[in-house]
Amino acid sequence: MTDIQNTLYPIAPELIVAITACVVLVVDPLLPRSSARVWLPAITVAGLVAALAAPRFAPVTGLYFGGFVNVDAFTTFFRAVFILLALFGTAVAPAYLFRKQVPEGEYYATVLFSTLGAMTIALSTDLITLFVGLELMTIPVYVLAGIQRRDRFANEAALKYFLLGAFSSALLVYGFAWLFGITGSTRFDEIAKSLQATGIANGPTIIALALITVGLGFKAAVVPFHQWTPDAYEGAPTPATAFMSVAPKAAAFAAILRVLVSGMGPLAVDWSSVFAVLAAVTMTAGNIVALVQTNTKRMLAYSSIAHTGYILAAVAATAAGPSAGAAVLFYVFAYGVMNLGAFACLLYIDLEGTRGATLDELNGFARREPFGALAFAIFLISLTGIPPTIGFVAKFLVIQPVLDAGYAWLAVVLALNAVLAAFYYLRVVVHMYMYDEETGAPLLVSSRLLSLSLGVSALAVVVLGIVPNSIYQWALDAASPVLP
Amino acid sequence: MTIGHVLTLLLVVPAVGLIPLALFRGDARAAKQVAIVTTFVELLLSLVMLAQFKVGEADFQLVEQADWLPSLGIRYFVGVDGISVLLVPMTTLLTFLSVLYSSGGAIKDRVTAFMASFLILEIGMVGVFISLDLFLFYVMFELMLVPMYLIIGIWGGTRRIYSTLKFVIFTLAGSLVMLVGIVAIWLASGPEGSRTLSLPDLLAIRNRFSAEFQFWVFLAFGLAFAIKLPMFPFHTWLPDAHVEAPTAGSIILAGVLLKAGGYGFLRFALPLFPTGTQLWLPLIIVLSVIAILYGAAVSTVQKDLKKLVAYSSVAHMGFVTLGIFVLNAQGGVGAVLQMLNHAFVTGALFLFVGIQYERTHRRVIADLGGLANHWPLYTTFFGVFVLASLGLPGLSGFVGEFLVLLGTFQFGGVPLGGLFWGPLAAIGVILAAIYLLWMFSRVMYGPARDHYKVLPDLSPIEVACAVPLLVLTVLLGVFPQPAIAIIEPSLDRVLRLATDPTFLVALR
Repeated sequence: MTDIQNTLYPIAPELIVAITACVVLVVDPLLPRSSARVWLPAITVAGLVAALAAPRFAPVTGLYFGGFVNVDAFTTFFRAVFILLALFGTAVAPAYLFRKQVPEGEYYATVLFSTLGAMTIALSTDLITLFVGLELMTIPVYVLAGIQRRDRFANEAALKYFLLGAFSSALLVYGFAWLFGITGSTRFDEIAKSLQATGIANGPTIIALALITVGLGFKAAVVPFHQWTPDAYEGAPTPATAFMSVAPKAAAFAAILRVLVSGMGPLAVDWSSVFAVLAAVTMTAGNIVALVQTNTKRMLAYSSIAHTGYILAAVAATAAGPSAGAAVLFYVFAYGVMNLGAFACLLYIDLEGTRGATLDELNGFARREPFGALAFAIFLISLTGIPPTIGFVAKFLVIQPVLDAGYAWLAVVLALNAVLAAFYYLRVVVHMYMYDEETGAPLLVSSRLLSLSLGVSALAVVVLGIVPNSIYQWALDAASPVLP
Repeated sequence: MTIGHVLTLLLVVPAVGLIPLALFRGDARAAKQVAIVTTFVELLLSLVMLAQFKVGEADFQLVEQADWLPSLGIRYFVGVDGISVLLVPMTTLLTFLSVLYSSGGAIKDRVTAFMASFLILEIGMVGVFISLDLFLFYVMFELMLVPMYLIIGIWGGTRRIYSTLKFVIFTLAGSLVMLVGIVAIWLASGPEGSRTLSLPDLLAIRNRFSAEFQFWVFLAFGLAFAIKLPMFPFHTWLPDAHVEAPTAGSIILAGVLLKAGGYGFLRFALPLFPTGTQLWLPLIIVLSVIAILYGAAVSTVQKDLKKLVAYSSVAHMGFVTLGIFVLNAQGGVGAVLQMLNHAFVTGALFLFVGIQYERTHRRVIADLGGLANHWPLYTTFFGVFVLASLGLPGLSGFVGEFLVLLGTFQFGGVPLGGLFWGPLAAIGVILAAIYLLWMFSRVMYGPARDHYKVLPDLSPIEVACAVPLLVLTVLLGVFPQPAIAIIEPSLDRVLRLATDPTFLVALR
C-alpha cells in the first residue's frame, strides 16, 4: 500500500486529469442534454482544480517508475501552467458549445486528454515518455480542430493539421531513432553524457539534431514549419482555438527544453545560432503576415507565430545560463494567459454566420460591450509588450539573455518586431474604440462565466505586470533542472 | 507643511482617482468633478513637494526606494533634483488646466473614459520625471503612450486614426530600441547577482562602459528621446498628432510629453555616457540648428493655425537640444527654462487655438480675421502668449532662448564652433517673430466676418485656465532667478559628470 502511495502520489495530478477525462466520457451519455451542459464543465473544472491542488499537500520531487518519470521544479511549473490553461479554456467554452451545437462531452474530454499529454511531456526523462506525451497532447487537438463536423473549414483545418502533424511526428521519431543509435540510450541524462564524450557534432548527430529541430519546430509553429497554424486556428471552434494556440505551444517548448537544452545541451554551440536565425525569421514572418490580415482570428494566429519567435530567441540564448530558461518559462506563462484571453474575447461576437470576426465586425465594440473591449484591449496591449503588463516584463526578460549570449542583432530585431506587432494589435483597438458601429453588425453574446474568466485574467495580466517578482522567481527555480 | 512619501503619493493620487471614476461610470458630471478634484489635489501635492525641496543642493532629494524585482536588482526608486523638481508641478498644473478646460464642454462624448485616460497619463508623466531607476523610468515612459493614443484616437479630429497610429508607432519604435539599451546597461553593470539599473549606482560604475558600448547605447537612448522630443528629422508625427488631438491632448502633448525627451537626455544619456555624448554631439548640434531654422521656416508657410503652433514646437525644442548639447551652464539652464517656458506658452497657444476653433470651427488662417474687435479678452491673452513665444524680453520665452544662445556662442566644440551656430540659431528667433506676428495680424485684425460677430468672448472657465499660465509666463520672464537657483546646482552636477575628463573613456 505504501508502495503504491509512494509511486502513485507523485503523479497524482496526471492521474486525476486522466480519471476526470474518463468520467466525463462515461457520464456524458448518461446525463440528459440540459444537465450535461452544467455538469460536464463542472466535473472538468473540479478535476482540474483537484489536480492543481493535489501536489500541494506533500510536495515530492525525484525520479519515479524506474526513472521514467521525473518530478522536479520544471515539472511542477509546467503542470500548473497546463492546468491553468485548461481551466481557462473550459470556463469560457460552455455558452459557445451550446450555441454552435458542439458535442460537449467530447470537447471537455479531448481538452483533458490533451492536457494530460502536455503534462506527461513536462515530467519526461526519456525520449519514449516524451514522445508518448507529445502524441497524447497532439492527437486530441486534431480532434478539437475538426470537432464541428458539419463545417467544411473545420474539416479542412483538421485534415491539414493532422497530415502535417503526423508528418512532423514521423520526422521527430526518426530523429529520436538516430539519437538512440548514436548514443545508445533514450534517457536525456545519458544522451547528454554520451554527446559530451563524443565532443563536436559529426554527420549523424547533425542529422539527428536537424530532424528533431524540424519535428519540434512543427509543433511549436516555427517558420518555415508553420503553415498549418492559421487554418487550424481559424477552423477550430473559438474556445478550442484559444486552448490550442497556447497549450501545445507551451508543451512544445517544454519538449524543446527537455530534449534540446537538457538532452542535447552539449551540442548547444551547434544549434543555438541556427535557433537564433530561426527565431528572427519566425518573428518577422509571423508579424509581417499578421499585418495584412483583416480577420482577427487569423491575425491572432499569425501573431502567435511571432510569439513563437520571441520564445525561440530565448531558447537560442541558453549560453546565458539560467536567465534564458527563466525567460522561456516566464514568456510561456505570460503568452498563455494573454493569448488565451485575446482569443476568448472573440467569443463575444462569434455567432453563426461570422467567421472569426473581421476587423469591421469589431467596430464600436467598446460601446456595445465596454467590459469585453477593455479586457481585449488589455490583452492586446500586453501582447504588444507595453507596460504595465505581463507581456512587457516577458519581453524585457527575453531581451536580457539574448543580449547576454551575444546576439545583439537578435535583440534589435526583436524590438523592431514589437513595433510591427504594435501596428496590427493596436489596429484592433482602433476598430473597437475609434470607429462607430456599422448597421447590421452581428449581435453580441456574453455569458457570466466568460466575463468572469476574462476579468480575472485581464486583472492578472496587469497585476503580474506590476509585481512580476514571484512569477519570475518561480520560473527561475523551475528552469534550474534543465538549465543549471 | 511636510508630507512624508510625497513622491509616492504623487503617483498614488491619480490612481486613487480612478476608483470613483469606475464607480460613477455612466455619470459624466460626476466624472468631471472627480477628475478636477483629483488633479487639483495632485497639483497641491506637487507644490508641497516643491516647498519641501531644499534649494541649492545638487543631489537627489525626497528619495524613496524599495525592492521591486529583487532577483534582477530592479528597484522602485524615486527622487527629484533641481532639474526635475520644477517639471513635476509644471506637469500637474497643465494636467489640471487640461481637465478643467475639457470639463467646460469641450469633451461631450465618453467623458469618464477621457478623464480616466488623463489620470493614467498623469501617473506616467509624473513618474517619468521622478524615476531614478531605468526600469521604472521605462515603464513610466511607456505608460504615457496608451492614454495619449486613446485621447487622440477617440476624441480627435477627422484624420485622428492615421495620426494616432503614426504617433504610437514612431514613439514605440524609439522606446523599444531604448529597452534594448537599458538591458545592455543592466548586463554591463556588473556580474550576475550584483546588476542594477538605479541611476546613482550606475553613475558610480560608469567607467566600465567602453567607448564602443557608449556609442551604441547612447544611440539607443538618443533615438527614443529624439523621437519623443521630437528632433528633426523624427518630427513628422508631431504636426499630425497635434492637429488631430483634442485641445487638452495638444496641451499635454506639447507641454509635457515632449519634455520627457529633453529630460531623458539630461537625466540619463549625458551623465551615463560622457564618451557617447562627445561622439554624437556634433550631429545633434547640427540637427538642433536645422530644427530651429526648419521649424521656423515651415511654420511661416502654414495655412492651418494649429499646424503652425505645432511646427513652432519643433523650433522651440531645437533650442532645448541645442542648449543641452553645448554642454555649458548657460546652455543647460537655458534649456530647462525653455522647457518650462514652452510648456506654459505653447500649452496656452494650443488652448487658445482650441477655444477659437470651438467657436468658429475654422482653423485655416485665411478663413479667420477681425476677431480682435469682438474678443478683447481673448486678444489680450493670446497676444501676450504670442509675444512670449517669439521671445519678447520680459516674458518667459526670452530668458530660455537668450541663455541658450549665450551658451551656444561660448560653445567651443566641433564642428565649426559656437560663433557659427550661435548666429544661425539667432535667425530662428527672428523667423519666430515673423511667423507669429504675421499669424496674429491675420487672425486677429482685418475685417471681421459677420457670423463671427455673435460669438462670445472667453468664458470664466477659460479665463481661469489662462490666468495661471499668464502669471507664470510673466513671472518666469521678469523674475527667473528663483528658478535658475533651483536648476543650476543640479545642472552643474550633470554637466560635470558629462564632461569630467577622468571619465571620458579613451576613443579608439
